[in-house]
Amino acid sequence: MFQNRAEALALALPAAIFAAAVFLVPVVILLSDGFRVPTGGWTISAYTDFFSNSLNQTVFLRTLRLGALVTIASAAIGYAAAFAIVSLEPGAKGKVTGLVVLPLMISPVARTYAWIVILGRTGIVNQAFQALGITEAPLRILFSETAIFIGLLQLFLPLMIISLISALENMPKDAIPAARVLGANWFQVFWKVVLPLTKEGLVIGGTLVFTGSLTAYITPAILGGSKVLMLETLLYQQVAVSNNFVAASVIAFILIVMSFAANILLKRVATARNKQRSQA
Amino acid sequence: MTLRSLFIPITLLLVIAFLIGPFLIIVAASFSAGETLAFPPQGFSLRWIAKVFTVESFRASFGMSLFLAIGGTAVALVLGIPASYALSRYKLPGAEIVRTIVSAPIIVPGIIVGLALLRYIVVPFQVGITLALFLAHTALVLPYAVRVVSASLDNLRSDIEEAAVLLGSSRIGAFFRVVMPNIRGGIMSAFILGFVTSFNQVPVSLFLSGPGVRTLPVDMIAYMEIVFDPSVAALSSLLAFLSIGIVFIAERFLGFSRYV
Repeated sequence: MFQNRAEALALALPAAIFAAAVFLVPVVILLSDGFRVPTGGWTISAYTDFFSNSLNQTVFLRTLRLGALVTIASAAIGYAAAFAIVSLEPGAKGKVTGLVVLPLMISPVARTYAWIVILGRTGIVNQAFQALGITEAPLRILFSETAIFIGLLQLFLPLMIISLISALENMPKDAIPAARVLGANWFQVFWKVVLPLTKEGLVIGGTLVFTGSLTAYITPAILGGSKVLMLETLLYQQVAVSNNFVAASVIAFILIVMSFAANILLKRVATARNKQRSQA
Repeated sequence: MTLRSLFIPITLLLVIAFLIGPFLIIVAASFSAGETLAFPPQGFSLRWIAKVFTVESFRASFGMSLFLAIGGTAVALVLGIPASYALSRYKLPGAEIVRTIVSAPIIVPGIIVGLALLRYIVVPFQVGITLALFLAHTALVLPYAVRVVSASLDNLRSDIEEAAVLLGSSRIGAFFRVVMPNIRGGIMSAFILGFVTSFNQVPVSLFLSGPGVRTLPVDMIAYMEIVFDPSVAALSSLLAFLSIGIVFIAERFLGFSRYV
């Protein structure tokens, strides 16, 4: 450890000042816009206005709902996938993990665009459904909540799988056999042994998936269209179409509060259950 | 075969099909001979791959994205390496505050960063769109640069540079001759991670576009809203292979995944 404070500040300040000037100050001013009265003073009327509008309510609840559903689905699929990957031979494990990580390197635009080909009116799903006689007319899957859900799940599932793989690998090897020998069924093994031991990985993955889903723009923009909005696409519309910067500030603040709240809440849940266990 | 021995291959097959399948469909669709984006592709041709290179706006926005990704990441490293060094080797007053400020752009949604920059830097200070994009992409990459470089500094024992200083080297000389050669892999990895992040970034650049000035992904979204031909699929496949190639080479020569 070097002790020279002046040197330390000279090294660190350029980066800090840059980030503060380009990022922090403009964002803080933007967020304060929603609380300011044009004639001076502060108010929360922009927030009461925002939430009294039924379209905004719908979009807000849809964003929360999709975030929660994508997180739950990715946890369920993520556990199955991570279990399967962890049980592979070391060589195969590396290759399969590589395939899981691969999509993260591909542009989200390309990854989302693919779903248009799959879910569109003449897409693969509709072709298959009509060939099998499940439906006669093509189903409208694109530009719906279902399409956004599928797109978000595909976008963020790799993050959950990676978090759960490292959590499962850090779990004591004999925990599951021990529980089985003592008579636990598979449901009990998962609920009482695996879940508590991999909780931290689940919380990390869950936070990444939930905040990622809340703040994704490309997926709802391409797969939701201009009708099925999420908060991010609503923010874009408020600025680009309505020039309503106060509403944009309100949405921005809600998004940031939701992300931070999710972070804190999930950490709480993890530590609370830890305490419970250590007291028991 | 019992049910349980089938569980593993079936799960893996389904998950990988879900994650990779759509990308393979895009690749297949980009070789189509038909006029519209469709799968299975109608016939085989390279016309859409060729068309990508002839669309004027794609060429311009590709150049812009490349400039932002290389330049922005380079500046982020010039700012980020000294900051990481100060954070890992010095008793820095307010170290936590510095760390929070430089890593904040990662937490706040990109669309908010772009809008804030537009309203409170571009408009009041009459900053050009290109410079604004450059500032935004640099700020966006900075957290990654600091995180990756800090990680490789923390893995390097600090007594070797203290030894160099005791043996008469200046602090700066010790940094360039002793520390830099040892964290080169980390710096390269930070560069690649920064490049890919910046290149694929959409929300930050959404509001920062002017006449003829746009990043490639934003341009692609704008194009596909108007024309529904396979050229965006072709471009997507080309870009995907480019970034997979870069990451693959990086993994091969640098052990990229150790740092990320």
